[in-house]
Amino acid sequence: MANPKVAFFKFSSCAGCLLNVINIEPVLLTVLSVIDIEYFVMAKRDNHHGPYTIGFVEGAVTTPKEVLELKKIREECAIVVAMGTCAVTGGVPSIKNFSGMNQDQLTKTVYAENIYDPFLASIPAKGIDHYVKVDAYLRGCSYDLGEFVELIKRALKGEDPMFRPHSVCNECKLKENVCLLVSKGQPCMGSVSAAGCGALCPSLNRQCEGCRGPANDCNAASLAKTFMEDLGLSKDDVVRKFRKYAGNTPEFSKGAEAAL
Amino acid sequence: MLVEAFVLPKADLGSFVEKLKAGYEVIGPVANDPEFVFAPIDSAADLRLDYDTTILPPHKKYLAPPKETLMTFSGPATKTGEPAPAGKQVLFGMHACDVNGMLSLDKVFLGTYPDPYYKARRENTAIVGLNCTEPCANGFCSSFNTGPGMDTGFDLSLTDIGDKYVVCVGSETGKALAAGLAPAADADRIAKSKALRASQEKIERHIDIDNLGEFMHQNVDNPVWAELKERCLACGSCTNVCPTCFCFAVKDQVDLTLVAGERPRDWDSCQYLEFSRVAMDHIFRPDRAARIKQRLYHKLTYFAQQFDGSPGCVGCGRCATYCIVAIDPVEVMADLRDNPGEEKAVKLYTPPDKKVTPETSPWEPLPAKITAIKQQNYDNKTYTFSFVDPAVQEKYTYGNGVFNEISVFGIGEVPISISSCADVKGAFDHTIRAVGNVTKALDKLQVGDIVGVRGPYGVGWPVEKMKGKNVLVVVGGVGLAPLLGTIKYIANHRDQFGTLEILYGARSPKDMLFTDEFEDLRKIPNTRLLLCVDDCLGMEWGHNIGVVTTLFDKMSSKPDNSIMITCGPDIMMRFAVKGMLALGWSPEQIYVSLERRMSCGIKKCGNCQIGPIFVCQDGPVFKLADIQGLPEAAL
Repeated sequence: MANPKVAFFKFSSCAGCLLNVINIEPVLLTVLSVIDIEYFVMAKRDNHHGPYTIGFVEGAVTTPKEVLELKKIREECAIVVAMGTCAVTGGVPSIKNFSGMNQDQLTKTVYAENIYDPFLASIPAKGIDHYVKVDAYLRGCSYDLGEFVELIKRALKGEDPMFRPHSVCNECKLKENVCLLVSKGQPCMGSVSAAGCGALCPSLNRQCEGCRGPANDCNAASLAKTFMEDLGLSKDDVVRKFRKYAGNTPEFSKGAEAAL
Repeated sequence: MLVEAFVLPKADLGSFVEKLKAGYEVIGPVANDPEFVFAPIDSAADLRLDYDTTILPPHKKYLAPPKETLMTFSGPATKTGEPAPAGKQVLFGMHACDVNGMLSLDKVFLGTYPDPYYKARRENTAIVGLNCTEPCANGFCSSFNTGPGMDTGFDLSLTDIGDKYVVCVGSETGKALAAGLAPAADADRIAKSKALRASQEKIERHIDIDNLGEFMHQNVDNPVWAELKERCLACGSCTNVCPTCFCFAVKDQVDLTLVAGERPRDWDSCQYLEFSRVAMDHIFRPDRAARIKQRLYHKLTYFAQQFDGSPGCVGCGRCATYCIVAIDPVEVMADLRDNPGEEKAVKLYTPPDKKVTPETSPWEPLPAKITAIKQQNYDNKTYTFSFVDPAVQEKYTYGNGVFNEISVFGIGEVPISISSCADVKGAFDHTIRAVGNVTKALDKLQVGDIVGVRGPYGVGWPVEKMKGKNVLVVVGGVGLAPLLGTIKYIANHRDQFGTLEILYGARSPKDMLFTDEFEDLRKIPNTRLLLCVDDCLGMEWGHNIGVVTTLFDKMSSKPDNSIMITCGPDIMMRFAVKGMLALGWSPEQIYVSLERRMSCGIKKCGNCQIGPIFVCQDGPVFKLADIQGLPEAAL
């Protein structure tokens, strides 16, 4: 039986998630023995059109043109995976959604004066499931390579990967890390952010920034209150924290709104 | 009897540890600045016996570690994982709270269906306790008599009395470890008692345990819970650091061959929304307030109900210490005591008393072959299984209404009730709807394929109590599967039972199971089968339209000398039970099946708990009277 055909696509983002794919060196050859990469512009010279079994999509959707491309991808792929935070929630590009400026003002602020290029016509940055049905999500900036390989395995077996959406605190406690918030008074977002990263940042003594988006049934409003009342963060700092990676999500919106 | 006691001068601690190291890996408290953790030590110089508390409780970390492989597999051929570790270890310097927490975990893991992995470690682990002569900031152990000093559970216990430790012997192992130490003088014993009394007096945090179980039951609707919901982050740290929390999740992992892999268990938490998730994304405890309540009730009353009165809270204070929003059981209880709910008579739950100790690992599924598959309707199939080993099949018997755990290796395991009759020998049936990962994988299997089966588990339908009585069976949808065996049992032993009446409702005619057996059911003497559907979808349908309770008008069953057994969707059972009670039936004669929530099947993983109940072992079939009025609604 032929290997499933896999494609990698990119929208508005830094390309880090695509680059990350190549970082699976220890198992890269084994993975390539069970899938055929048919389309991966960053990594291959020969690319082939669809249909594909799995389409991995990086990046937020920020232009009308991207919406059309995404819909074509959906038609061509049996399984669509949102790969990385930008594709999952809108990610860093979605910060612009909360700038309070319209498109014209944004263009004038970001680019040199008097530029008009239809390429710059943009819409609020959204995760891809705002426009198409998504079958699985790889959360994180960038996503965890273990989860990437796990997702391929589950997809090949025709299974829902069911990544646990519980908090980063879980993985952090199991590593017996000193709690950055309780013991050091740092505004760590691990308690409301989805795990799967192995509590990567807190394990390196850095606060969780919430790059994987909200944990299941998280209580961002309560954490926002703790940040302000107990840790003395300013309103603007708290709002920025909750809108850095997943401001589009209803869960983190509640954190930002609690501060406003 | 006078406890045997010795003294260990502090100057000799180093050589004492060196002696221990000859026979054990020594694991003790070390600094993880500014906190402490238990870790293997090289020498006594690493030890921080001045520690207040540790992030994870030492016994949980080293006896029931966060991740444990239950078995490895390669396709349908399985083998169980090795019960690690081979070496002996000593947990050095455990505080009284944790020693008592360990004794509580012993009840979970060494009680019914003893866990071989925990057991092997427990037997290879010596405990050198350290009584607290200085209370920690958040502890409230004296409330539960689980500290500051320990009375039991240790091989040796140390008490700091200045320049030396008083070393008490708690076991033969301990006595051997204390060899060579000088006996304690009376003055040393007195110094120890004084130090512990002084420590106890310094503890300022307390929970009022007077009538605690009843009090908790009277405060289910206290507004305190709604306030906690606003604060709680649902991060689950409280359960991870708890010395008595034991719940875990099991999920198969495969390598890139897609057929070989392992089945690990990982600590889980009742504070997570998805903890109570079952197939079709149904979540039994969606409300955060209910989850907070479940944890605190479990700690303060359910645990004792479930495990012979052992404490579910040992007052270590970790949950308060590590809670970002400072949810503290001492404060919660003080708030409840200040504004208590109405006092009312409360019946605490008592689980059935049983201890099963199988000869083989309770985690090991045995290979069983699919010998027949029958399509029941568009999404249900009945599979007939036989154990591959004829000797196993020969010995295999089951009661009506109990369940097996079915494994598709590489995907996972599901608890499914047996749909054949207990009279059938040589094979057993499961009727399964393809809705989750495992059941969808089962759906792809063919006759001749091998799965793993362990069981049977649970308490089934009360067939013995039904003898001599009229039986009313109220069924919804796929709920007929766990009831069909019992119906057939009644047919096979017809003279032992009174009238049999079956009310069967489904969403539509095509959702009904076993339709080709209806004629046979109608032929059972002294039996009525009444059918109804919510919607006949335009199909020819000569029976009732409406939910199953609409059949109550047509049924002939009366409460006298009768038993009702029911299985179906929760909402159907809730209304059916309500209807029956209105018709004068008593909760003593109604039996319900709560099987949808189960996971491991052997009272270990904690997923199936409803209030104090373990559905998998106390049930899945319950007498209504036993589960009415629980703090968490069972139906």
